[in-house]
Amino acid sequence: MEETRVVNATWDISTFKFRIEGFGINNMLKKMKEAKLLGNRCHQCGTVYLPANFYCRKCHIAIHEPAEISDHGEVMSYTIGYADVRGNPLDEPRVSLMVKLDGSDTWIMGAGEDMKPEDVHIGMRVKVKWAEQRVGNLQDMESFIPE
Amino acid sequence: MDKKVAIVGFRMKSAPDLVTTRERLTFELTRGLFDDLGIDRTAVDTTIFSTNDFLDGRTISNVFLDGPAGAYMRDESKVEMDGINALMYAVIRILSGQYSTAMVVALGLTGSQVSPYLHVEYQLSPVYDRQMRLLNELSAAAFQARSYLARYGYSEKLLDEVAAQALSNAAANPNQARKIPGASAEQVASSSPYYEPLRELHCYPPTDGGCAMLLASAERAKELTDKPVWVLGMGQSIETFYLGERDLAKSPSTAQAAQRAYEMAGIRDPKAEIDLAEISALFAHQEPLLAEALGLLEEGKAEEAYRSGDTAISGKMPLNPSGGALGGHPISATGIIRTAEAVRQLRGEAGDNQVGKAEVAVVHGQDGPCAQQNAVLVLGI
Repeated sequence: MEETRVVNATWDISTFKFRIEGFGINNMLKKMKEAKLLGNRCHQCGTVYLPANFYCRKCHIAIHEPAEISDHGEVMSYTIGYADVRGNPLDEPRVSLMVKLDGSDTWIMGAGEDMKPEDVHIGMRVKVKWAEQRVGNLQDMESFIPE
Repeated sequence: MDKKVAIVGFRMKSAPDLVTTRERLTFELTRGLFDDLGIDRTAVDTTIFSTNDFLDGRTISNVFLDGPAGAYMRDESKVEMDGINALMYAVIRILSGQYSTAMVVALGLTGSQVSPYLHVEYQLSPVYDRQMRLLNELSAAAFQARSYLARYGYSEKLLDEVAAQALSNAAANPNQARKIPGASAEQVASSSPYYEPLRELHCYPPTDGGCAMLLASAERAKELTDKPVWVLGMGQSIETFYLGERDLAKSPSTAQAAQRAYEMAGIRDPKAEIDLAEISALFAHQEPLLAEALGLLEEGKAEEAYRSGDTAISGKMPLNPSGGALGGHPISATGIIRTAEAVRQLRGEAGDNQVGKAEVAVVHGQDGPCAQQNAVLVLGI
């Protein structure tokens, strides 16, 4: 059989535009400017969603009830990253947390700061560290720090 | 579903680098399958591909593969999910009565030509998860592993034991890509840390591979093989994409898919009636997690099950006697390869990986981050 050869191939994809949902994530981002978290509640089953969702996953109905969520919560899961997804080692281990904020039924993710990797545990109490200059995007929520 | 659709033959291949092209791999698998069965391409009523456009670097990537698969001017379509879903689609087509045979072709060259873990990064929500820059396939799996271990108070050593068993089984299997003869739990525990608690050998390896499989109606199956393996039941279920809305320590969608498949197959007590399982566990923790959801292991008893040897090839509930996806995960083909490995067992052709009694097998395939979508097949002879 003839020898095969590897050549470099490209697939450049231009930037996409994504419209985001007003009652859902856009309201949440706007409220983050005030260092507050806005989710929403299903009026039928009571599930509170954060990030906000415009419909209830379980009931499959449109939902309209905003729900303010605390910026304090509990660590539900965590991992310490030693390499990036391409296999390159990181300079320092990176703490990532999944946190259930008080008043929400769902979890959000964030970086863990001011905590040693060996001290992180499920059930640990944390709070959001807000950026000083907030602009209404996801980076307003800088990280989670111990409560 | 009593003996209406059978798997009559397959060809599969996996390696870290197959040194081949997508077209040639497709050609070799399908040509080989036809030669094994003594048929030509006109005996295939419909061909169903399972490939991934992102990993193939081109959209609707099956349009390049119909020629090499012998589907030129024939009936052909594609499923952009794990191949087990293409197989279910093939079964349904045969059950419709309009097709007497259906071929499934699934492949992924994620060992040599594209980095495998990247595809989940590009699968994430572009307006939320991707902007958070924290989530990728490995960190998502690590969150799931941590949740699972914490739920039952399992030690991280369980992950090393699960991986050591899978890797030892894989080393004995000529169809697998990753070969670490005599892999030990200590060796797994000292492999490179990725995202705690996951290390390199807890995770699937970059793999090239594929599988072509022919299914047939009962009547046609008898003409094509003396050893048909019957599809007795199947089921699917999907959870939400967003990890924060899921119970990561369990797989309720797998439990539901299994319930549907067992009901169709008339299985009431899976622990007693199923002889072996081929599970698409991409990370070590997923094997016991999914086996619990499939009703094969008792919840909270995984440590005892692995330590006592119950889950080994010679045990009473062999899990992934082939070595599973820790031995090779050519993305898109893994569910079909698990099916082919179960067929080898049921035909008594699994060599050093053969389990004792092999009359009924359960096969599992998954898609989406942290096994979002799950599909279950029950096969029997």
